[in-house]
Amino acid sequence: MKQTDFDIVVVGGGHAGIEASLASSRLGLKTLLITFSIDSIGRMSCNPAIGGLAKGHLVTEIDALGGEMAKAIDATGIQFRILNRSKGRSVWSPRAQADKIKYSLYMQTLLRSQNNLFILEDCVTSIFVDNSTLVGVFSKIYGAISCKKVILTCGTFLNGLLHIGLDHFSGGRIGEKSALGLTESLIREGLIIGRLKTGTPPRIYKDSINFSNTTAQYGDDNPFPFSFLTNNFLPPNVPCFITKTNPQTHDILCNGLDRSPLYTGIIKGVGPRYCPSIEDKIFRFRDRTSHQIFLEPEWTSADEYYINGFSTSLPLDVQEKAIHSIPGLEKAEIARPGYAVEYDFFPSYQLNSCLETKKIRGLYLAGQINGTSGYEEAASLGLFAGINASLSLKNEPPLVLRRDESYIGVLVDDLITKSPVEPYRMFTSSAEYRLLLRFDNSDVRLSSKGLQIGLTPKTVYDNSIQKKRLLAESIQYLKTHSLSPDQTNQILSIVHQSTISGGVTLFKLLCRPEVHFQNIECFLPPELSKRVGFFRDFGDQIEIESKYEGYIKRNQLLVDSFKSHEGIRIPQDFNYQNISSLTIEAREKLTKFKPETLGQASRISGVSPSDVTSLLILLRK
Amino acid sequence: MPRKIKTTIVALSTPRGVGAISIIRLSGPKSLELAQKLTRNTKTFSPNTVQYARVWIAERFLDEIMLTYFRAPHSYTGEDVIEISCHGSLYIVELIIDLCVKFGAVPAKPGEFTQRAFLNGKIDLLRAESIADLIASKTQSAHRESSRQLLGDGAECFQRLKKKIIQLISTLELELDFSDQEITFAPHEQIETEIHSLINDIYVLMKTYSYGKIVRTGLFTPIVGPPNSGKSSLFNALLHEERVIVSPIPGTTRDTIEESIQKDGYQFRLVDTAGLHNTDETIESAGISRSLKTIQLADLLLFVIDARACLAEFQEIIPAKISNMIIIINKSDITDPFTISKLQNELSRYKTIIVSAKERVGIRELTTLMVDYVKAQQPSEEDFILTQKRHYIALKKMCKFLKNAKASSKRLITSEMIVIDLRLALSCLDELLGKTTNDDILNNIFQNFCIGK
Ligand SMILES: Nc1nc2c(ncn2[C@@H]2O[C@H](COP(=O)(O)OP(=O)(O)O)[C@@H](O)[C@H]2O)c(=O)[nH]1
Ligand SMILES: [Mg+2]
Repeated sequence: MKQTDFDIVVVGGGHAGIEASLASSRLGLKTLLITFSIDSIGRMSCNPAIGGLAKGHLVTEIDALGGEMAKAIDATGIQFRILNRSKGRSVWSPRAQADKIKYSLYMQTLLRSQNNLFILEDCVTSIFVDNSTLVGVFSKIYGAISCKKVILTCGTFLNGLLHIGLDHFSGGRIGEKSALGLTESLIREGLIIGRLKTGTPPRIYKDSINFSNTTAQYGDDNPFPFSFLTNNFLPPNVPCFITKTNPQTHDILCNGLDRSPLYTGIIKGVGPRYCPSIEDKIFRFRDRTSHQIFLEPEWTSADEYYINGFSTSLPLDVQEKAIHSIPGLEKAEIARPGYAVEYDFFPSYQLNSCLETKKIRGLYLAGQINGTSGYEEAASLGLFAGINASLSLKNEPPLVLRRDESYIGVLVDDLITKSPVEPYRMFTSSAEYRLLLRFDNSDVRLSSKGLQIGLTPKTVYDNSIQKKRLLAESIQYLKTHSLSPDQTNQILSIVHQSTISGGVTLFKLLCRPEVHFQNIECFLPPELSKRVGFFRDFGDQIEIESKYEGYIKRNQLLVDSFKSHEGIRIPQDFNYQNISSLTIEAREKLTKFKPETLGQASRISGVSPSDVTSLLILLRK
Repeated sequence: MPRKIKTTIVALSTPRGVGAISIIRLSGPKSLELAQKLTRNTKTFSPNTVQYARVWIAERFLDEIMLTYFRAPHSYTGEDVIEISCHGSLYIVELIIDLCVKFGAVPAKPGEFTQRAFLNGKIDLLRAESIADLIASKTQSAHRESSRQLLGDGAECFQRLKKKIIQLISTLELELDFSDQEITFAPHEQIETEIHSLINDIYVLMKTYSYGKIVRTGLFTPIVGPPNSGKSSLFNALLHEERVIVSPIPGTTRDTIEESIQKDGYQFRLVDTAGLHNTDETIESAGISRSLKTIQLADLLLFVIDARACLAEFQEIIPAKISNMIIIINKSDITDPFTISKLQNELSRYKTIIVSAKERVGIRELTTLMVDYVKAQQPSEEDFILTQKRHYIALKKMCKFLKNAKASSKRLITSEMIVIDLRLALSCLDELLGKTTNDDILNNIFQNFCIGK
């Protein structure tokens, strides 16, 4: 083995690999990124968009912790929109169409110029383990390379198998080879493997689309950036186009089912239910006569469009015929067909809360290899693994993100306490403390941790401290200052409410559903109001934290229900097998998951409250 | 790992059933405070001494008790513990436990006292495993017990509730997590109606509990009415007519007289009260306000009037809530039939019966009427009857959260807020049916809606 002084080797240059290698190199560790090709770094293999429901939250959290994704999409996005605007602010999520070429170039440029980071175009085929500790990797051209830690972020490339109709061929993405050998090497070291499936729709040429038969959809006029560092945000606003399928489309697709790799049982992996193929949707919901289709530009002046909602693995001729039955796509030419991809993953219960494998010290897994889906999930995990691998090398305590402080915390905790049945995707409903986990306060929640680690810029932290103070100060002011009856009624009449006798505190007034921050802002001291104006929408943020105090408190009840056991640690060598007070199922599950805390144990399905009680007692011994 | 236990638990610690004495035990930081509230005592109890005290419910004296305070850590559980010895009547025990719960205690889970004792290091650490076993077996047997009980209609009952809540939560979560999909979401009014129907379902269930309770502990049946209408006479007539159960409650210290009679297997706890009077005289008002409280607590109310009186004389004092009231037109022996039937006509919107307490005429018919009343309260055969207090309290808590959710929905508060109370409501069922995970909700969404762009 070549003895090198690399601290960390990151395998794979996808969204997880980027964040992992940036984090470790920025933290001063000598990092080697090994990828098939530098050109493919940061490539968006599925749809050309970042963010979306719950995923937008992840992106702003990545930013608060000093990751890159938010800044990259702010710089290269071509349409920005806040989703869920009609709901409460806690579930608002930013989403952007990306110029996927620019995005990928942005990342490549950044990685190339990063201190401490070295990039090698090669293919890792095995790992070296000595005494349950990782000592190096073997790459095809370069050979054996020693290092202290390895972060595997190989996405869908492990034994990737692409399916189009009944044809299948090896590959990770269309046009790219798959990584062979690495899986087998991990199995040899005792890791357990699973197989998942995902799919992607066809891309079509722009000049073959008749846009007049579709409806254009633009982004927000006053767009929100993802990053807390982005100022003077004036991105382009390139539209998507909406059209829909019809019964004829459905007939064509149905007639092709006998040549579907899914329906003929060729595909063994399990696909995500939240992102089914078009043939799945038609088969399962037969009474629907139409499904919406979004045509998304792949870059600014794209000559290719992504057909969102039309993921398929049917044969090319069926894809073509079905597309032609859709308004606007009558003459559409397929640039690249849709396909399904099956790939190996390592069920994430084999990881500890740092994303390090329990079997092999120094080996971290992040991204789709953990059974997740989505760029944002991958980037979050890459960042998290990169940080923790680095902290471990620096002999510093690990980064722990709690479920009640971040979506990333929920993501990691869900991964290590669940047996995946399908690729894991972030949902806002997975976060117990959803009301306070907003996309606009990720900095307040996380930047102090990011700063302490050494990744988050001081300005982001300073602003977050100001925001925190400002919120407390404003609420304090509102609670302690009353308006005269005249002033009160003046406001009430503005919002068309019947007047009352006697003055009330500004806080009480703001708690009324009809009254908004704008209505009372003029009663704040000018100095305070000016500072509030400094942060975008900060008045709204003050308003929701006041108005929904009662809900936030009850939300805390939901959080408390899991928090009580969080601090109780379980030794990793704890033997569950002979404990008669545990049910057989609990013994099996606990042995499999090896939870680090009683809190984690309580979230494993099959472990009942009475099992938790028994454990609680036994741990006192 | 000293875990701070915040709750105070309460449970009957002697075997259930009518023994001479029952012991109720409280453990937790609020034990002492609860005991003070229970006995309306402002001074603290001194540790390790048995003290005499009285328990009051509303304005009514309930029982004389012996109370012992064990100060933490010198108690069985290692926490502040209060032991209450009261009369061994189920009725009294239930009322005292109810009061404790009202003041903030929670009913103990099986084995919880032992568990706390262990966690506070009061029990030999070497016995850890056997204790864990014990608790597991207790919890499991309690679970078996409840699953046996739930096997029939009960299980279905709770499962139905759970399904409905999960359905509701899914509808709202769908709106939040899949709003970018082409799905029509349920309108607010529909959510509100569904929550409302859920609350009604729970009410029906809870009512079966109060029926079960009156069957077990007897109906609280005060006799009220204007002075001299014959309340005391009726009280005596009823005692004479039916089997008297010797009351475990000492009668010497009360200003109301209470005795129990039994008919057809149902127990009525008769209370002779001070007269109801529409007067301003202050001397009487204390007794009257006590009577009003008594009326509120009544399971069944006997309102006695003198047959010779005219409606105007007592109209004002007839209680507003009449569904559980029988008006007794007394002194039929000295009133002419025409006057009686005129009065009875005027009172046609009430349940009435004509008696003579003095001559003991119509008393048997009255007791039959009373039994009919109880029978009418009985849930229909198919209905599942709630018997466990823990289940009842879970449902009650659930109702509270559902009402929050309904109010939010009415005020057009957005879904993520409504969901909080619905999830809290759902968590109340977790103790009965096992925990609900996020996956249960997502599964429901994927099953019912076409997701996926
Ligand atoms: N003739 C007759 N007198 C009655 C009857 N019931 C009660 N009384 C008389 O009415 C008076 C008041 O009765 P009491 O039971 O003390 O009434 P209370 O004040 O309502 O408790 C007494 O003198 C009783 O003897 C009845 O049915 N017939
Ligand atoms: Mg009397």
